[in-house]
Amino acid sequence: MNLGRRSSKPSQHAVWVFLAPFALLTLVFVAYPLIQSAVLAMQQTYGPGTKTFVGTRNFTDAAADPVFWTALRNTIIYTLGSLFIQLPLALALALALNSPRLRGRSGYRLIFFSPQLMGLVFVSILAALMFEKQAGLINQSLHTLTGGLWSLDFPWLESHVMATLILISLWMYVGFNMIYFLAALQNVDHALIEASAIDGANSWHRFRHVVLPAIRPVGTFVVMLSMIGSLQLFELPFVLLEGTGGPRNQGLTVVMYLYQSGFEVGDLGYASAIGWVLALLLMSLACVQMWMIRREGR
Amino acid sequence: MNFATLIMAARGMPLGLWVMVLLMLCSVTVLFSGQRTNEDAVRLWVFSPTHRDLYNPMLDRAGAEVGVPLDMRLMSILAIERRMMSGFFSGLPTADLIECERAIVGRAFVGPLEAVGFLDLTDRLREEGLLDQINAPSFGPWTSRGRIFGIPHDVHPVMLAYRADLVEQAGIDLSDVETWQDFFRAMRPLMGESTNPQRYILGFWYTHLDNVEVLLLQGGDGLFDDQDRPTIATQSNAHILAEIVSWCVGPNRVAADIEDFSGTGHQQRIDGYGIAYLAPDWMCSIWKEQIPQIGGKMKIMPLPAFHPGGRRTSVRGGTMLGIARDSHQIEEAWKHAKLLYTSPQVARQMYQLTDIITPVSSLWNDPVFDEPDPFFMDQPKGRMYIDQAPHVPARSSSPYNRQAVVLLRDAAVSLAEHARRTRTYDSQALQPEAFRLLSDVESKILRVMERNAFSGAVR
Repeated sequence: MNLGRRSSKPSQHAVWVFLAPFALLTLVFVAYPLIQSAVLAMQQTYGPGTKTFVGTRNFTDAAADPVFWTALRNTIIYTLGSLFIQLPLALALALALNSPRLRGRSGYRLIFFSPQLMGLVFVSILAALMFEKQAGLINQSLHTLTGGLWSLDFPWLESHVMATLILISLWMYVGFNMIYFLAALQNVDHALIEASAIDGANSWHRFRHVVLPAIRPVGTFVVMLSMIGSLQLFELPFVLLEGTGGPRNQGLTVVMYLYQSGFEVGDLGYASAIGWVLALLLMSLACVQMWMIRREGR
Repeated sequence: MNFATLIMAARGMPLGLWVMVLLMLCSVTVLFSGQRTNEDAVRLWVFSPTHRDLYNPMLDRAGAEVGVPLDMRLMSILAIERRMMSGFFSGLPTADLIECERAIVGRAFVGPLEAVGFLDLTDRLREEGLLDQINAPSFGPWTSRGRIFGIPHDVHPVMLAYRADLVEQAGIDLSDVETWQDFFRAMRPLMGESTNPQRYILGFWYTHLDNVEVLLLQGGDGLFDDQDRPTIATQSNAHILAEIVSWCVGPNRVAADIEDFSGTGHQQRIDGYGIAYLAPDWMCSIWKEQIPQIGGKMKIMPLPAFHPGGRRTSVRGGTMLGIARDSHQIEEAWKHAKLLYTSPQVARQMYQLTDIITPVSSLWNDPVFDEPDPFFMDQPKGRMYIDQAPHVPARSSSPYNRQAVVLLRDAAVSLAEHARRTRTYDSQALQPEAFRLLSDVESKILRVMERNAFSGAVR
C-alpha cells in the first residue's frame, strides 16, 4: 500500500490550504484589530472619517487622570481580595469536601459550584436585590440576627461598594476555584500522606509539607487565572452599579472605565490607550506565570 | 466525486452529524425567510413598544398621505444607539427616521457640527412655523451649538405625586404650600414622633442620579448653559445640593431611599413608607400599570419651590425624532415625522395610552387633557401637567451631561458623609462644603471636555 508514503510527504500546498482558514480568521479578527487599536491609541476620533493624530497624549492623559488611577486601584484591591480571601476559602472548602468522613460530598460540591451555572449577569442582578436597603436579604438577615442593632438602611451599594463586590465574587467564584483544588487534592498520593503520618507528622505538617507541594502546580494556575480574571472585571460592577462606577467611583474597574470612555463618551482613542495599558499589565503577569511554571518544572 | 459516492458518504454519517446538518438548514431557512425590508419605504426605528402601538394605526394613513410607506422597526434602546452610531461613523445605512432618547443622543454631538449624523432641522422648523408651535424648552436636549437636530416628542414636566389618602386622613391641607420648607413643615405630622419612623415624607435619595438632576434643573442653573458650558459650581446649585442632602441625613431626615422602578420600591409605595414622589408625566402610566394598588389614593401638585416665587416644576427624560443626514428620502421622512409628531390624533392617543403630554402647544386645548383621572382622585391630571409645561427648565444636549450627573451624585455622597461625620445637618451650614464639592465636579468635567479636539464650541 502506498497510503503511508503519500501521507508522509504532504504537499506544501496542502499545509497552506489547511492553515488558511485559521490564518485568515486570525488576521482579520486578531491581528488587524490589534494593529488598528495600537493606531487608535495614538489618535482622537469621531468615527473613522474624523480623526486627528495625538501621539502619546492619550497615554500621558491616562497617567494624569485621577479616575484612571481610581479604577486601577479598585481593580488591584479586588484582585487582592480574590487572591487572599477567595482562594484560601476555596482551598479550605476543597479540603473539607475532600474528607472521606464528610457525608453527602457530591451534594455540597454541586451547591458550592452552582452559582457558576447561573452566569455573572444573573448573579449581579440577584445580588443587587440582596444588598438593597430595607428589604434586601442581607440587611434583613443581619437586622434579625443582631436583634435590631444592624440598620436596615446599611448602605452596601453606597459606601461599601468594594466590600460588596468582593463578597459577591466569593459567592460566585469560591465554588469554581474549589473544583480545581479538589481535583488536585484527589491526585495527591495517599501513600505519601500515610508515610508522613507514620513518621509522626501532624495534620498541619502533612498539609504544609506533603499536600501543598503536591497541589502547587494547580495552585499556581488558579492564582494566575484568578488574577487575570479579576483584572478584567466588568460585568459584575456594571450590572450591580447600573453602568456607573458607583458612588465616587468606588466600584469602577479598568475595563469599566475603558467601556465608559469608548462607548459612553465616544473617546475611542483614549479607550484604546487604556486597553493597551491593561494588556501590558496582563502580559507582564503572563510572563510571571510562565516563569513560575518553568521554575516548578525544574 | 460523483453523486453515488456522495450518497454512500451520507449513509455512513453518524446521527450527530445529521442533527447538525438539520440545524444548519433550519437556521439558513429562518435567516433567509425573515421579514423583507421594503426598499422604497421610509424606515423608522423606535425603542418603545408603547410608541410602536401608538404609531401602528397611523401607518396606512401616513403612507397614503406621504405617498411612501413607513416601515417601522422596534429595537432596544441600546441596539438603536449602537446601530445609529455605527451607521453615522461609517456611512453605512441607518433608518431614515430614528427615535432617540435623551440618555443616548449626546454621543451624536461629540464631534464637529458638520459630522453630526442627524439632519439639521433648524431652518425647516422655522420655515414651517413649528418652532413657534412647539414648547420652546423641549428643543433643548436636541439642540447642539444652536442647531436643532430633532423634533421633540414630549415635554415631561415633573409634578409632586403624593398619597392623598394618608395626607387627608391626617387632616393635612397642602393648598397653601409654596416651598419645600412649607411642604415638609405641613407633612411632618405624618412621620410621627418616633426616632425610627416607619414613614417618610419624600421618596428620594441623593444617590438617585435622575432625581438629583431634576431638582438642580428646578433650581435654575442646571449643569450646562445653552452653549454647553458647565454651570455646575454656582451658589444656587450649592444651595440645592445642601438642601437635598439635609433631607436625607440627620435625626430629622424626611426622605427615604425608595427606588423608582424596583419591586421593593413599589411595595414601599403601596405600604405608604414614602408619601410623596417626583413624578414626570410618563411615570403616571408606569404606576398605573405596575402598582394599580395605589390607584385612587394619589394626587398630584406642582413641585414645591426652593424659594418663594421659584419654579414649581422641572423635567425628566425625553425623546426626539431625527432624520439621518445620509437618508435618501429626506423629504418623505420629514413629512412622516411631522405627521407622527404633530398629529392631533397621535397627541390625544399618546396621552390616553402613556399619560405623556405633547410638546405641540397648539394641541393643548384638546378636552382629553381636562378629563378627570380616577388614579389621581379625579384630578384633571393632563391640564395640571400642561399648566407647568411652559415653565420646564431648559436643558442642554451636552455629551458630557451624563458624566456630570454621575459626578454630581458623587458630590452628594461626599456631602452626606461630611454631614454625618461633622454632625452638620443644616442646609445653610452645608452650603460652603457643597460649593467646594461642586467646584471639584466642574473642574473634572472641564478636564474631560478639554480632551475633545474637534468641537471648540462644546468646550
